[in-house]
Parts: sequence; C-alpha cells; structure tokens
Amino acid sequence: MATSFSSKRHSILPPISQAGPKPPIQFSSSITIADSALLTGSHTITIRTESVVHPRARLDSSGGRITIGRRCIIHERSLIGAAPGGGLPTTPSRTSSLLAPPREGVEEETAAGPAGVTLGDYVTVEVAASIEAGDTVVGEGTVLGVGARIGTGAVIGKHCTLTPHTIVAAGDVIPDFTVIYSNGTRRTDRRGVADLRNKGQARQIEVLRRMIPSNPAKFQ
Amino acid sequence: MAPLTPYTYIQCPCSDPSNLSYSRASDSGSPIDGNPGFDDEEHTFDPRAPRSNYSLYPLEYLLYCEDCHQIRCPRCIAEEIATFYCPSCLFEVPSSNLKSEGNRCTRSCFQCPICIGPLSVTSFETQPDPNLLAAPDHAAAPHSGPYALNCSYCHWSSAEIGIKFDKSNGIHGQLAKLRNGGTTRLTAKERKERRKDILQSGGGGGGTAPGASGDTGNDQQAIDMETQFTNLKSFYQGQLSESTSGGNGLSSLGDLGFASPTSLSRIMSIYTGGSLHDKKSKSRVGSMREALDPNEGLIVADLDESAAIEKLHSEGIDGTVDTEQLLNQPPYLGEPHLHGRSRFGSELRPIPYLLRTKRSKRCPVCRHIISKPEAKIQTTRFRIRLIAGNYVPSITIRPLNLNDNNGAAGTPLPPTAPLPDTLQPLKPAHFLLIFKNPIFEGVKISLATPAKTPGRFASKVTVLCPQFEIDANTDVWDEALKDDGARRRGAGGGRKGDERPGSTQGQQRAEAGKIWERGRNWVSIVVEVVPASLRLDTLPTEGPEGEKVDMSPLKEDEDVLEIPIFVRVEWEVDAVGDDLGSSLASSRDKEAKEKRELAYWCVLGLGRVSQA
Ligand SMILES: [Zn+2]
Ligand SMILES: [Zn+2]
Ligand SMILES: [Zn+2]
Ligand SMILES: [Zn+2]
Repeated sequence: MATSFSSKRHSILPPISQAGPKPPIQFSSSITIADSALLTGSHTITIRTESVVHPRARLDSSGGRITIGRRCIIHERSLIGAAPGGGLPTTPSRTSSLLAPPREGVEEETAAGPAGVTLGDYVTVEVAASIEAGDTVVGEGTVLGVGARIGTGAVIGKHCTLTPHTIVAAGDVIPDFTVIYSNGTRRTDRRGVADLRNKGQARQIEVLRRMIPSNPAKFQ
Repeated sequence: MAPLTPYTYIQCPCSDPSNLSYSRASDSGSPIDGNPGFDDEEHTFDPRAPRSNYSLYPLEYLLYCEDCHQIRCPRCIAEEIATFYCPSCLFEVPSSNLKSEGNRCTRSCFQCPICIGPLSVTSFETQPDPNLLAAPDHAAAPHSGPYALNCSYCHWSSAEIGIKFDKSNGIHGQLAKLRNGGTTRLTAKERKERRKDILQSGGGGGGTAPGASGDTGNDQQAIDMETQFTNLKSFYQGQLSESTSGGNGLSSLGDLGFASPTSLSRIMSIYTGGSLHDKKSKSRVGSMREALDPNEGLIVADLDESAAIEKLHSEGIDGTVDTEQLLNQPPYLGEPHLHGRSRFGSELRPIPYLLRTKRSKRCPVCRHIISKPEAKIQTTRFRIRLIAGNYVPSITIRPLNLNDNNGAAGTPLPPTAPLPDTLQPLKPAHFLLIFKNPIFEGVKISLATPAKTPGRFASKVTVLCPQFEIDANTDVWDEALKDDGARRRGAGGGRKGDERPGSTQGQQRAEAGKIWERGRNWVSIVVEVVPASLRLDTLPTEGPEGEKVDMSPLKEDEDVLEIPIFVRVEWEVDAVGDDLGSSLASSRDKEAKEKRELAYWCVLGLGRVSQA
C-alpha cells in the first residue's frame, strides 16, 4: 500500500548532507538500513543481525563506538550518539558498577576505542528519540518512546518502557522492567510478556524489511 | 521575559451590578443607585481589581442574545444537557440508563488507571503489537481468550492486577464481577447461601468475642464491603423486629441514643431507601446490642500495618498512588474492606470512561436558545450558535511607528513584524486600534477611557478619535461593483473606501478628532499612551486623600500596560419583523427605525513597560 503512494508523494524534506567523516562500519548481512540514514563519526558503528534502521535516522559515533544489537528498530529522526550535555539533568554519577545491569560486549572491544552507545537486542528507538554518547547502555527489549532523551552514561535495564518525551538524566541507572512516565514517575512492569514482545518485534521487522529498501553498501 | 501579544478582553455586562436588570426589577426603588460603590456611570472599570479576573473574556468566548441584544458570557448563560455520550466509543447514553447504570460507559471503554491512556482489549496469546495485523502468519492464529486490557502508552495490562476476561466484548460487565487477583465477586445469592452456611455450622460460635481467635481475622479478609453491608443490614433488621416485640414504653429520652430502635430505623431508612420505615417505630424504646461478630457485620480494625510498610520499603514512593489516580478510581463495592489497606499503584483498576455531555445554552433572561449543538454525537457542528463576534465590533491592536525618522514613519508595523519587546516608560507610544464592524448596518462608536489608567502606576492615555462611524458589513462584491462605478464616473478623489487624512503629505500624521484609516467595514484610530515609570520612588508618598500608598515591590503582571476602555455601539435597524412589542409600531409605520445600543467595558493589553 505504501509503495503505491510513494510514487505520487513529493518530499519537502531538505536533502541529506553527509557532514563529518564516514565511520567504519560492521554490518551483519541481514540488516535493513535505509539509503537516507545518516551515519557519521570516527568510531566503529556495529549493527547486528536483522536490525532495521529507518530513513533519516542519525547515528553519530564521534563520541564513541555505537553497537546496535539484534532485531533492533531505529526509527526516523532519532539520534543515537548525540553530543553529551544537551541540557539534560545529571544524577550523581554511577556510584558503583554493581548497580548497573551486566553489559555484554563492552570489555571485549575496548581496544576499538571508547564505548559511545550500546543497544541490546530487541531495542526500539522511536521517532525523534535521542541517546547521548558516553558509555550509554540500553538493555534488551526496551522501548524508547517518541522524543525521549537519554543522558550520557545512563544505563537502562532490560524490557523498560520509556513513554514519549521522557527524559533520563545523565548517569541514571534504571532497573529492568521499569516504566518511566514523562512526568518522572516510575512503575514496574509486571506483565512478564518479554518473550511475546520479542516475537512481536521479529514480526514487525519482517514487515519493515519489505517496506524499507535497504542499501547497506552505501555506507561501506 | 516573553513579549506580550496585545490582547482585547471584553467585560461581560452581566458582571456590572448596575446592569442586573432583574435585581432592579425585583426591588424597584431600592437604593442601588444611591450606593456609591455600585453607581457606575462615573466609575471606571479597573481591570486589575480581583473581581475583574472572572469577568473578562476574549471576544471568541462570548455569545450574544439576539432578543435581549446583549452579550452573554459563560457566567450568564443557562445550560441544558442535550445528550450524554461516551467520549471513547461515541455512543449516546439515554438519560434513563444514566439513572440505573451511572455516569460511566458500560461498554468496553476503559482508561489506564496509571496514565489515563485509553485501554484496548487484546487477546493474551497474540497480544503484542496492533501493527502486526499485517503479518501473514497472524491470520493463522485466531483471537481466542483470555483477553486483557492493555495500555498502549505505558504498557500497563489488567493482567498485572490478575484480571483477565473470557470474552472480548462486554468488558464492563465482566470487570464488575471480577475482583483484583481474578477472584469473582460474590453474587447476592451466593452471599445469602454462604451466610446461611455459616449460621448453620457455627450456631454456637456466633457469639464468640471478636479477635479472640485467629480465624476471625481470616473471615475479615473474605468479607468485602457489600457482604459487610448485607450482614449489618440483616443484623439490624433482626434487632428491630426483636425490639418491637418486647417494647415497654419507657422514657422517650432513650430514643435519641445510638442504640435506640428509633434512630436505628431512621438511619437504616436513609441507607436502604426507606424500605424499612414503619409506623410502629414511634412506640419502640429501649436499647439494643450492637453487632458482635463478622456474620453480624462487625469488622475489627486491622491495626497491623507491617505488610503495608514492607511493601512501601520494597516499592518506594513510585509504587504508591497519587491523589489524582485515587480520585479517578470508580468506587468498587466488591473489594475488601478499607481497614488496614493502603493504596498502591498495583491495586488500581481500569477506569470506565466518564460520560461527557453536549449542552445547549439559553439566555437566562428571555430563555431563548443561543447555542445548540447538533444532536448527533459524531458531529461537532452547531444548529444554533450566536457568537458575539457576529454582532460586536472586534478590536485589533497594532503598534504604530510615528516618531521614527528613517522613512518607515507613519506605517503600522506589519502583523508579521516582531513586536517591540517593551514600552519605554515616560515615552509616548502609539497604537492603532482597528474596529471591524460585523453587522449589516453602519454603526456609531463612542469610546471613553480614563485619562490615567487605574492602578499604582498610572499611564496617560489619549484616544485621538473617540467618536466615529463604521460602514456596514456589506457584501464584498457589492462594494467592488460600487467602487467600479465610482471610478468610471471619474470622480477623481474623495473615494469613501480609502480615506487617509493627510496622506497627501506622503507621511501620515495622527490628528485629534480624525480617524486614521477607513475601509469597507472597518476604521482604525490612534491611541497615544505615555507609560508610567515603574520605579517605586516615583510614586507619590501620599494619595490624593492623604491615604497610604502601597510601596510593595512590583506585583505579577503589574508591568503590563492595560487600558480600560468603555465602548458604546449604536446602530439603527428596521423595526419590521421584530417581536411582539414592536409589531404594533411596525404596522403603524413600516419605515420606523429602531435604535439599538450596546455598551460594555473592555481592556486593551498593549504591552509590558520596561523596568529599566
Ligand atoms: Zn455575562
Ligand atoms: Zn464507551
Ligand atoms: Zn497507561
Ligand atoms: Zn435574551
């Protein structure tokens, strides 16, 4: 349906300009990345199996490596790897790493430079959400709502839901299964449907792969 | 500070006591006119007075009664409910249902108890995402229960409170039968049977002292509010029937006590709708015992709050409910008794949507309808809507650049131009007031302003042209044709449509007594203000009558320059086709013109005065 419309629609968006250096990339062969996604920076951008990057999503690795797990969906106009200090509040920095959920794939790759943003598997980054660089971690199955903003160094647990326009302070540690409302209140998600949601994500990706023309070669 | 957009607020005449026609009519000859506070021909409206807060409206908020020829604001309108409907499913609810089923939607419309987002019914197996419907393998798995209510905003699910549904429709009815945790609410019949069982099995134990054994605690857990109420009710009914049989006619003093049959039957008739009221109650005296165990409706307060404290420890403040969430909760009689219960977010139930109304509005004086919505819920149109903007001239404010010497002088700033941030104190500033006439007759407008604005910091105000006429709001095409004719006649200047005083000099000047510009149905005039200095040391130390002057620091929005302005609009209409009173006159003289007048205060907010 969308394809039949696309020929008639006129885009009024400005052309995408590649600003900054082309980053080194490590793409899985099964990813879907739109032609008009914008990848900049100097550190490696890794995207694992079956993840989808929508048109006009921006990935900026100037502040450190960006690692996107399996079956993630990065929506349009989202910004991963924003420069830290975008006016977000700061919580006293992570006092102990014990609090933080275990982070996979960080230690093994330290040689490749500082970690910027690490997204676990099945993460959804909604439209216009932004994640600041600086060892920021988003756990498996977490949904970042429309326009949500994650401060530098924040660690978000697994299967969290950040409602639209939520702001997570820099260095904040969010336990697994937390729902954060945009007014700042929190709640624990007790549904226990993580598996179901992962399945749903997989199905959604199937649909998206048919709708988004992928062009990973452009970023080589 | 954000620059202030100039505004015009109208004071509805209803808030002016002298305009209360009914108050005058009711006590004719009363000394209202003698009261200096209420006598207002001379009294200037003060927009900063606390009373003014609730009487000023933008023109768009006001309605107009065509029969009283008066502005009607939300305060002087009588409302009538036309229809009740659910804002979620847009179904109309008949008012008879309202009485029996309450003011909430009884279909399947619910709000999330945590974030008030709309809940949707989803099947448990194929739950996750609605946009997966496109997936082909989805069709293979048909929806089958159990179902749950899901919030798509925050992912709350009724499964969290243990509530699942067998069917995907009629959720309201299903939910009413389910308690948190999934246990079903007792029906009246079940409750009766259970009660019978208890009475039969524990005939001897019925009188045990409360709290003596551990099992009473368990009983209390099981008793929900409804059960307790029925227990109490049947207990008291039993008590009453006993006391009637053994009445002995002692002093009537006992009648007033807590335990007296009379007061009891009175209270019970309040709670049970008068069914228990009986004539014999007068004759009953003496006292009765109170309920003694759970079967009789006694529930001992549970003072052990350790569970709640523990939960608070583990969940923190985020786990508790806030006042708003609590107030949104509909009452649910099936839940356990309130004793010892604390409110956690994990106990909240889905909120059935509160019904909304469509209302029609009447003039309170003549009872004519001045606003009536379309009966169909899905349409947002109105059948009748007499908005004041169609009757009352609108006033727009535009800063005017008169003193500038760099060529741009004499031109009002275009609407798109950034507004000057602030007004400089003690420096004259000019504003254009553009009056636009919406009606089809020419109107005569008289303006009156106090020379100095009320308040501590009095700014000087001069309206250069306080009296003028505006042409009728004729058809645009009529006007164009007329223009065309005039031009063809070759009458060089003097065109009525474009009158600009002094425009021959290339630069316009504001002249006293002359309007600035005139158009088809609008006239613009110039008002000059000299804003007061906001410095406290410029305030006089004493008022004119020797009273103390308020020397407190600048209050909120005290720097906004607001001009009260009294507007009187006069016009003439054909008396023909008017209501009963004038029909006599019209038959006598078809040509008779009727004079109409509308007068009101309004406030022009011009801008902030610089505090430098
Ligand atoms: Zn009013
Ligand atoms: Zn409804
Ligand atoms: Zn919700
Ligand atoms: Zn009326």
